[in-house]
Amino acid sequence: MFSPILFKQGMKESWRLLFIIGAVLAMYFIIIIYMFDPKLSHVFDEYAKAMPQMMSMFGMKSTSGSLTEFLASYLYGFIIPVLPMVFAILCANRLIARHVDRGSMSYLLAAPVKRTSVAVTQAMVLVTGIVLLVALSTVLGIVTSEFLFKGDLDKEGFIIINIGALSMLLFIAGICFLCSCIFSDAKKAAAFGAGIPSIMYIIQMLANAGEKFEDLKYATFFTLFDTDGIIKEDTFAYVQIVILLAGALLLFAAAVIVFRKKDLHI
Amino acid sequence: MNVIEIKGLTRDYGNDRGVFDVSFSVKEGEVFGFLGPNGAGKTTTIRHLMGFLKPQKGSCTIAGRDCWKESARIQEQLGYIPGEMDFFSDMTGQEFLSFLEKYRGIKANGRKNELFERFELDAKGKLKKMSKGMKQKVGIVAAFMHDPQVLILDEPTSGLDPLMQNRFINLILEEKKRDKTILMSSHMFEEVERTCHRVCIIKNGRLAAVDPVDALKSAQVRKYIITLDSPDSAAAFAREELGETVVSGSSVTVGIKGGIKDLIAVMARYPVTDIKTPGQSLEEVFLQYYGGDK
Repeated sequence: MFSPILFKQGMKESWRLLFIIGAVLAMYFIIIIYMFDPKLSHVFDEYAKAMPQMMSMFGMKSTSGSLTEFLASYLYGFIIPVLPMVFAILCANRLIARHVDRGSMSYLLAAPVKRTSVAVTQAMVLVTGIVLLVALSTVLGIVTSEFLFKGDLDKEGFIIINIGALSMLLFIAGICFLCSCIFSDAKKAAAFGAGIPSIMYIIQMLANAGEKFEDLKYATFFTLFDTDGIIKEDTFAYVQIVILLAGALLLFAAAVIVFRKKDLHI
Repeated sequence: MNVIEIKGLTRDYGNDRGVFDVSFSVKEGEVFGFLGPNGAGKTTTIRHLMGFLKPQKGSCTIAGRDCWKESARIQEQLGYIPGEMDFFSDMTGQEFLSFLEKYRGIKANGRKNELFERFELDAKGKLKKMSKGMKQKVGIVAAFMHDPQVLILDEPTSGLDPLMQNRFINLILEEKKRDKTILMSSHMFEEVERTCHRVCIIKNGRLAAVDPVDALKSAQVRKYIITLDSPDSAAAFAREELGETVVSGSSVTVGIKGGIKDLIAVMARYPVTDIKTPGQSLEEVFLQYYGGDK
């Protein structure tokens, strides 16, 4: 079911991308947390008040003042879905579709390794990358907050927000991986793998802008990651996390099955 | 015992493309030539044997195992050279081969080094910067290094220079002595002539015939281009009863089946200035053998 050698190779190939995305993520985290300093005035809250629609499109809204809400609003509304999503799109495409498109998949299958093992191993590379990025965010969030504003962060709530983010990102990665397994043409796989999550995010932005578009929130899975609900310890918000995780599992399972049954012209 | 067995294999891509009701088998220890023009269905058939494609109709088995359902088990004892060499281009040849070694779960053995020496391969460079011939050598090492019982080789010598082609043929002959079962597609008659027990030809997705290679050789009509001193003597030469002749200017093309004793005797009586034997492509040989558009 799993090939350690292939996994190592996959990690080696995604290491550079993971590092870049991780570095950008770290930079944003530190800068944004730093900006929470009440003495520097709430720059973002000023913006949020000045152009509420524009800011809320990116999931950022004027906060009541707790550090946890501040992070949920300014980091987990835009940076967290988008940066790891870029990683998922690029990495998923490289793991399956590109090998099939180029024909190098023939070498992975002309060996005593089952197709299921190849797909599961490649999926694990993608999942590992996402887990590492979320783990980095969690640690950075807690360490930076403790360093700058000791005791201000609701750690428990913040960790649950990260678990929610992980479920949502795995769901996105699942979509990308499924596309990578369905399409034998790497460009098509990239178009759908990048297109579906991006459209979903744009729908979310429109829904956030409110008014007549509000009902659009039922048309995108991003709604299931409800940071406000998590902070309020709303049980339904937790259930939504479980739904995302189950969805992610289904998507990856579907991808493996598609790959196992697929005709490969390699 | 049949090691490779294809029964009624069909894959219809529409517009008369694909393979249709192809059946043949390769016995244990046999070297089998799989021939045909481009687009005839050789690679499609091989992809079914490799378990990359699922037969629409019919079945393929290797060593009694179904090629689609049990491909991973089959691969333990199989070596494969794909028709097109596409690797993990960011690796060097060395890295790629040691990756495959570990991925296949085989222990490092002398075989790999022996193959490196045999093909004078220096695989320290990046795969994407390698010439076609170099890549082909890497592919050959990858297919033979685990010393498999069954070999499926799709155009194994394409891109190799004549010296290396010759070394490859010797490698096949050695493997033949060691009772390996080999299915090899090729464009070169010489390669097939020197290595294969039997050959089959596939055309437009349909199997034309399966025959021992000796039958092919004895039926082969060889062509000779004889140049004489003038068009007149060429015309006279063409009237001699030798076989099929075509005159063009002062040269005559003669097609002869079997021995050339008579031809030499006739040539002695004419002012011959030159004689050439053009290399024959497999397709020409087959067209002669099967007559026209069969």
